[in-house]
Amino acid sequence: MEVFTFGISQLVMSFVGVVIGIIFGALPGMTATMAIAIFLPLTYAYDLTTSLFLLLGLYVGGISGGLIPAILINIPGTPSSICTGFDGYPMAKRGEALRALRIGITASLIGGLISLACLWFFTPPLARVAINFSSIEKFLIILFALTIIAALSKGAMIKGIFAGFLGVLIALVGQFADNNKMRMVPDLFRVDLRMGFQLLPVLIGLFALVQIFQEAETGMKEEHRKMDLNHETRSFSFKDFKGQGFNLLRSGLIGTFVGVLPGVGGSAASLLSYSQAKSMSKHPEKFGTGLIDGLIASEGSNNGLTGGALIPLLSLGIPGDSTTAVLIGAFMLQGIQVGPLFIMNNPEIWRAILIALGLANILMFVIMFYPIKHIVKVINFPKTRIYPVIILLCTVGSYATQNGNMFDVWAMVFFGLVGYVLWKFGFSIPSFLIGFILGDDLEKYFVDSIKGSGGNLATFFSRPIGNVIWVLILISLAYAFYDEYKSNKKAKKAKA
Amino acid sequence: MLRISYKPSTSHWLFPPIIMGILVFLMVIMLIQRAFKCKKQGKPFLNFKNYHFFVANWDTVRLPGSLVLLLLYIPAMNLLGFLPASILFIFLFNVLFVGLGQLASIPVAFKTKKFWSNPDFRSLLISLIISVVGSTVIWFLFGQVFKITLP
Repeated sequence: MEVFTFGISQLVMSFVGVVIGIIFGALPGMTATMAIAIFLPLTYAYDLTTSLFLLLGLYVGGISGGLIPAILINIPGTPSSICTGFDGYPMAKRGEALRALRIGITASLIGGLISLACLWFFTPPLARVAINFSSIEKFLIILFALTIIAALSKGAMIKGIFAGFLGVLIALVGQFADNNKMRMVPDLFRVDLRMGFQLLPVLIGLFALVQIFQEAETGMKEEHRKMDLNHETRSFSFKDFKGQGFNLLRSGLIGTFVGVLPGVGGSAASLLSYSQAKSMSKHPEKFGTGLIDGLIASEGSNNGLTGGALIPLLSLGIPGDSTTAVLIGAFMLQGIQVGPLFIMNNPEIWRAILIALGLANILMFVIMFYPIKHIVKVINFPKTRIYPVIILLCTVGSYATQNGNMFDVWAMVFFGLVGYVLWKFGFSIPSFLIGFILGDDLEKYFVDSIKGSGGNLATFFSRPIGNVIWVLILISLAYAFYDEYKSNKKAKKAKA
Repeated sequence: MLRISYKPSTSHWLFPPIIMGILVFLMVIMLIQRAFKCKKQGKPFLNFKNYHFFVANWDTVRLPGSLVLLLLYIPAMNLLGFLPASILFIFLFNVLFVGLGQLASIPVAFKTKKFWSNPDFRSLLISLIISVVGSTVIWFLFGQVFKITLP
């Protein structure tokens, strides 16, 4: 049996990842995705298993750190903490900030561990099913992922689909592997774009530079942040969790389930879990007034997302959210393909992922629970001082993609501008990135299916599992239309 | 049922036209949607007069400034080398993001001989410290410890 090495360097990587992740999560405007995108180049220096300890630490820390500003200043540090402030902030206002933070941290740990258990149990059987997939089913699964992205672009469904397919088109730029011929490449860039646009400059541009441009447009204003943790009216006790077992389990499972759905973000997990907790509560009227049930629901679900989002990534090769889309980059950089054969071909990396995720959750708890009083000072870091260093890290990361190519740095700036323009016109940037990541495989499996059938398009309806996926695609599209209709109706009602 | 003719020599142009077709189709849908919306609201289809790409009161210094600095930083790395160019540009980014107004403190600080106690000049010194320390740490950590190729 192959085992991976676990030692001090993995522990240190995980620790560093969690700490940096918490800082990124705690600073409004910076996300776990951004942290992973920026620190991805460090994976060149290490093997994948060691790098995963850093990246998963960044992921867990980034999601968890969001609760700090959500509770203290009612600004979610990450979209995943959107509901944390609903009850966390009223608790802080009545002098229970530390209690709220510690309840949130504990709920995060439990949610993370629930999702880890789901990842452990459900990924291998799902991969075993997917192993029998032919190129037809693989093509349809990717198509399904693209329709789900669209379905969840609330109120802007067509724009969501458009962004996804635009990403696919950009992924096709360069040489086609079957006949080694170039397409969609201007003569000037024939050498630089032979292998197409590299993933790292694209995602760094989309997730780091766009954020900096957005902040620069509004003048990089710092919010006035004031907190007082020295006059607590009530302190934390583990007894606070009495009677919260079902809420914790449900929130962890909701987070995991939402994480499994490709393209759904942490904000959806938080909102769904919060609304479930409210609707099933005996006292729903108290939600939003500083009730710990709401805080637990939000924080339990958003950390549940971490393991859930890894399930489709590791079993089908489809990213569950924008952060796992970035994580694909880490695997690609090491030449490892995620998908149905991943666990079978890389059992040591699979075990490393499980241990790294568990360790990251435990470290997150240890790092945050007692020192939280000091960690909260992180939110006082001015963005104006952090962004220049981030620009430097982005440049280094992009340049290192192909072992030193200035074209990739230009590509990063180009995609930063593309992302900024897409955002300005209301197109979803994560949809674009997921389309870009899946585009190559979408084409490969489409062409393979066509080759196998002699060009007959009926082949896409010839296999039973394929037909089940078609049904899922239709359900997803029908849901998208229904949801779009509902969102528009709601918006009209709100206007009137 | 529809058939697609597959020829290995032209297979690289099999898929891109399909995606382009889907994009054109989606664009037409978006235009139709917009036409209906505009008709319903009684607004013209093309309304450049009231259109604003940037938010109201957008920062006319920081946004174009950051773009210009980014575009200059890339050739500067070729010209000056990674570390000197990074120190210079990270300092300039700091000054740009914190506020160009602090530059006015330079003659005042030298005239009054008060450097650290002058808040604007102190801010400039902090920018300098961040740029030197930040760039050197990243150069050392990435380039020397992790052996990552730097510009």
